[in-house]
Amino acid sequence: MAVPRAEMRKKFTKEKVPLRQFLLGYGGFDFPFLVAVTILLCVGLVMMFSASYVFAARHFGDPYHFIRQQALWAVVGFAIMLIVSKVNPDILRRFGLPIIVLVVAVGLLVIALVTGTGGFRRWITIPGVIQFQPSEVAKVAIIWFFAYAMEKYQKPGYAPVRQTSLVPGKRFHNWFGRWWSSFMYFIVLALVAGLVFAGDHVSGAIIIAGIGFMMIFIGEQRIPLLAYAIPAVGAVGAVAAVFNNPNILPDHAAARIISFLDPASDPTGGNWQIRQSLYAVGSGGWFGQGWGRSIQKHLYLPEPQNDFVFAIVAEELGFIGAILIVALFVFLVWRGFVIALRTKDRFYSLFVLGIVLQVGLQTALNIAVVTGMVPNTGIPLPFFSYGGTALVVLMAQMGIVLGISRTSSEQKLREVFFSGRRRKAKALQSAPT
Amino acid sequence: MTRKRRTPQSTRFRQRALVVLVLLIFVGFGMGATGLVRVQLIRGAEFSARAQANQLHDTEVPPQRGTIYDSQLRPIAESAAASLVFINPNLLNQAVNRDEIVQTIADDLAPILNITPEHVHRQASFTHLNHMRLQGRVDDETMQLVNEFRRRELIVQEKTNDPAFADQGGVRNVRTTFGRYVQVQPDVVRFYRWGSMGGSLIGFTGADDVGRSGLELLHNQALTGLPGRIVSARSAAGVNLPIHYSSIYDPQPGNSLVLTIDEVAQRFLERSLEQARIDAVADAANGIVMCVRTGAILAMASVPSFDPNNHQRIADEALRARIMAIPDEEERRAAYNHAMMAQWRNGAIELTYEPGSVFKVMTFAAALEEGVVNMNTTFHCNGAIQIANRRMHCHNRNGHGSLTLAQGFMNSCNPFTIHMGQLLGSDVFYDYFEAFGFTEPTGIDLPGEFRPRVGVNIHSRENTRIVELASTSFGQSFEASPIQILTAVSAIANGGRLMQPFVVAQEIDHAGRIVRETQPVVRRQVVSEQTAALVSYMMEQTVIDGTGRNAYVAGARVAGKTGTSQKLGAGEGYVASFAAFAPADNPQFAILIAIDNPQGGIISGGQLAAPVAAEVLESLMVYKNIEMRYTETERQALGGSTPNLVQMTPEAARAQLQQAGFRVEIIGQGEQVLHQIPAPRQNIPAGGLVVLYTDNTVAQRMVTVPDLTGLTITQAQQAATAAGLNIRLTGNFNSHQLRTNRQSIPAGTQARMGENITVHFVTSFGVVDRTID
Repeated sequence: MAVPRAEMRKKFTKEKVPLRQFLLGYGGFDFPFLVAVTILLCVGLVMMFSASYVFAARHFGDPYHFIRQQALWAVVGFAIMLIVSKVNPDILRRFGLPIIVLVVAVGLLVIALVTGTGGFRRWITIPGVIQFQPSEVAKVAIIWFFAYAMEKYQKPGYAPVRQTSLVPGKRFHNWFGRWWSSFMYFIVLALVAGLVFAGDHVSGAIIIAGIGFMMIFIGEQRIPLLAYAIPAVGAVGAVAAVFNNPNILPDHAAARIISFLDPASDPTGGNWQIRQSLYAVGSGGWFGQGWGRSIQKHLYLPEPQNDFVFAIVAEELGFIGAILIVALFVFLVWRGFVIALRTKDRFYSLFVLGIVLQVGLQTALNIAVVTGMVPNTGIPLPFFSYGGTALVVLMAQMGIVLGISRTSSEQKLREVFFSGRRRKAKALQSAPT
Repeated sequence: MTRKRRTPQSTRFRQRALVVLVLLIFVGFGMGATGLVRVQLIRGAEFSARAQANQLHDTEVPPQRGTIYDSQLRPIAESAAASLVFINPNLLNQAVNRDEIVQTIADDLAPILNITPEHVHRQASFTHLNHMRLQGRVDDETMQLVNEFRRRELIVQEKTNDPAFADQGGVRNVRTTFGRYVQVQPDVVRFYRWGSMGGSLIGFTGADDVGRSGLELLHNQALTGLPGRIVSARSAAGVNLPIHYSSIYDPQPGNSLVLTIDEVAQRFLERSLEQARIDAVADAANGIVMCVRTGAILAMASVPSFDPNNHQRIADEALRARIMAIPDEEERRAAYNHAMMAQWRNGAIELTYEPGSVFKVMTFAAALEEGVVNMNTTFHCNGAIQIANRRMHCHNRNGHGSLTLAQGFMNSCNPFTIHMGQLLGSDVFYDYFEAFGFTEPTGIDLPGEFRPRVGVNIHSRENTRIVELASTSFGQSFEASPIQILTAVSAIANGGRLMQPFVVAQEIDHAGRIVRETQPVVRRQVVSEQTAALVSYMMEQTVIDGTGRNAYVAGARVAGKTGTSQKLGAGEGYVASFAAFAPADNPQFAILIAIDNPQGGIISGGQLAAPVAAEVLESLMVYKNIEMRYTETERQALGGSTPNLVQMTPEAARAQLQQAGFRVEIIGQGEQVLHQIPAPRQNIPAGGLVVLYTDNTVAQRMVTVPDLTGLTITQAQQAATAAGLNIRLTGNFNSHQLRTNRQSIPAGTQARMGENITVHFVTSFGVVDRTID
């Protein structure tokens, strides 16, 4: 008895989904992505330990000071990743709006609360519990919200404003709605990036802006291509302005730009770190000094466990090792794109794209800094740099990607089952390979 | 099986995503990859080199400096490993609580290192430097205390940019030890066992272990060896990394020197010289003892010397006190430096003076060799001789009267010598002047040897005209160094063969293999053996019954020549000298004593230098087991040898001694002689006293030594006998006006009854070869 395909689909979508299935979904992970994440996490931990133990022993009297915490966070993060990956990503859709509201609210709160203390305001400390960087959460929030909004308002006319009598005529309403729905992204992006920037976290703001623009470029297709010239020109102009007069930036960022532009200006100050980083990378040569045999980590390179961990990686593993790790990151990004393009859902797709773009952008910028190609931005290297918040958030993001990756295989499976190609599917399933 | 993959997204979406992906990978990651290629591959060597310049520290491990041994392989100068303690003021300056740390170092470490706390503060004030020396040459014992201090823990407050410490004012507490600031590196210390003995000969090393004077300077390269190196990587805190990059190149120890110098001979010479210098109230006294056959130097001394262990201190206490009394700071410093440099000088090879009468040995030898005179030649000295338009006086203004050749020599007659010079003619004379080595350095292996310069120290051949010939022939109007004169005199002793003197016999490596051995070098045959023998005879006669009679040593057959000369160019002052060798018939040792600027009223070499030479030669011959051959009168003066009486009954002992002509004193009521004074086989004069002890419980009988100086022989004998001592007489008894000038046990001290006291006699009769003008 043949059932019409449309009816079948209708029946399927209306079908009551059991709670367990709703929560955990169907299908399996994208295995290569999981492998890439696991390898990067392990290599990152090992290299972070190698880079950090001298500094830790010297300054904390305990060589395992950093690795102990980082390993704990890695275990927690891995567990969170697995849990998140089991969660039905459909749930995520519901938090797209609340999270951005929360982040903006908390951001404003932080600025208001700690404005008086001066200096760095990147950290929020909940005494005795945790110290975390709001900018990490802000990145996720932007990706989340953009993915959510770009799916919801993808069609013209789906403007996030109510039709009111104030708006004369449907034509105008459509026009306004379309433009408003496009500009809204820039406004939200500017708000969040601005909050992070105000928190004295210039690099975080740059990353957020970068991710935001890229997501708008991919997901919001109603803006004419030419319009992207405006932020592009703006970015170039900003870079030119900053290079011309770095003092328009907060002090610590300005100092980094100055030392990048004039390496001889302050060899023991702002330039010390980048110079020691170049010495480390340069010492690596083709094959490196061997694992654990870096010399630059012996207090020459300050805080080698943080943003400059890759310098030690390059010193110990050499060009070959460094390029292999870069290749792993490229693989992760590429695999993320594959996952994104396989999903049927626009939200999923954009969410995954945003996450891997964030990882890719941070990695690319970090390595460029370490090798002296761009000014010191203070961007950590995902999976490698020391930092609990960043690692846990990153692993949760990886969990989301994995969770979403399951939906494509689930969808594939369902399609195969319900498109009258059952036999083919059966044959597919029972095929030896 | 291929299947067209269906994607839900619009084509545009996918296109744009791909654009972003490609941009991210090629631009984003491409930038990093380009950076890696640029930094690691293209400029890798450059960055690596700059990194290593920061990281690698090349520590030089000083090699063990070779030892200097005397001829019997007794060490003279030795090196031992030590440590150098330094601080890192730069690192200290980075601590917030710097002053507190420095204060602790000044309080607790300075006393250990024997430095003042102010020194610590001063060194710590060089905050731009990483290495300021606190103390070098620290021995292991002190280092244990230093290391204890270095292990002490402290909390350092460090400035940091780490935001985690922002709420503590950017200051972080670091627990560390003092070893972080007080560091140690290997050092060596050179130890001179002889102290001030032979100071100017051995020389010394500077703080950098490099030879600065004497043998240490000349043989610095051989002694130094090759330094080892430790190339190691260090952390930015200056701590050696536990692993990697440690290449160690072992240092190669320096070679050792075996000298011809004999410690015992050196001690004899130096002791006698020091006494002579004090007695003569002289500025300095120089002496050399040389092995006649080889030219090897047995002893070489220049007093006052200095202690190479503390070479900056003026060793002459009187001079030091005089300099310290100078009120003006600058003047005092200049005087101190001058005196310091002066004491480092080795007078035996650097002092220059007119040889005076000692040179007559050469003139007589030349004249005999050339046949212008023979032993039967006579000369009448009337106190002066007319040369060209100048009248040259004899030291005996009244004239010696008629003299044979030997008498002329023994009395050091100037006109006779001048006459001989004139007979030789300046050309022939100058040949001998050259041949005896007065126009060149001797080539001794010591630094700074006097190098005669024509027109400055000596006349040129062309300028040696009749007047210059006359003055040169009796040792005036030119300068020579003690080593030159001794070498020339010992050529006479050595059958006319002029030797090249040397002090380093062997150079041996650290395993004891001989690297280099000095072979005696005969520079030339200056005169024939017959001539040399004739001159030797005249020199021996000089000691027996001439101006050198104070150098007489019974049984030693000393041959010598006195000299008293005015210093040329140095304004005023005399040098009293005496050159001698012994035994005359088979010469072993040649000796030269030169006493510089005696101010005690006596200036003649026969009075000042000859007794010193005698004393040294006698000690040497006993030490070297050269057989003494006594004449009958000498044997009588020597008395008899004491028999061994231990374990004999007192009666038998008494009988044996009385038969031998000795007096006996038995102390104690024992059955057996337990010990005797003097010990067996000692020479005591006839009628001398032997004290026998038969009871161990009885204390030894002590007597007070009387002052025997300035006495005649008879007076001295009476005084000694009265005091209960045996007297041994030395000196020349063929002379008149003998007076004791030395006694072996100082007056006023306690001595065991019956002990031998040696008393040396000198004469002031017929020993003067120059009068003070």
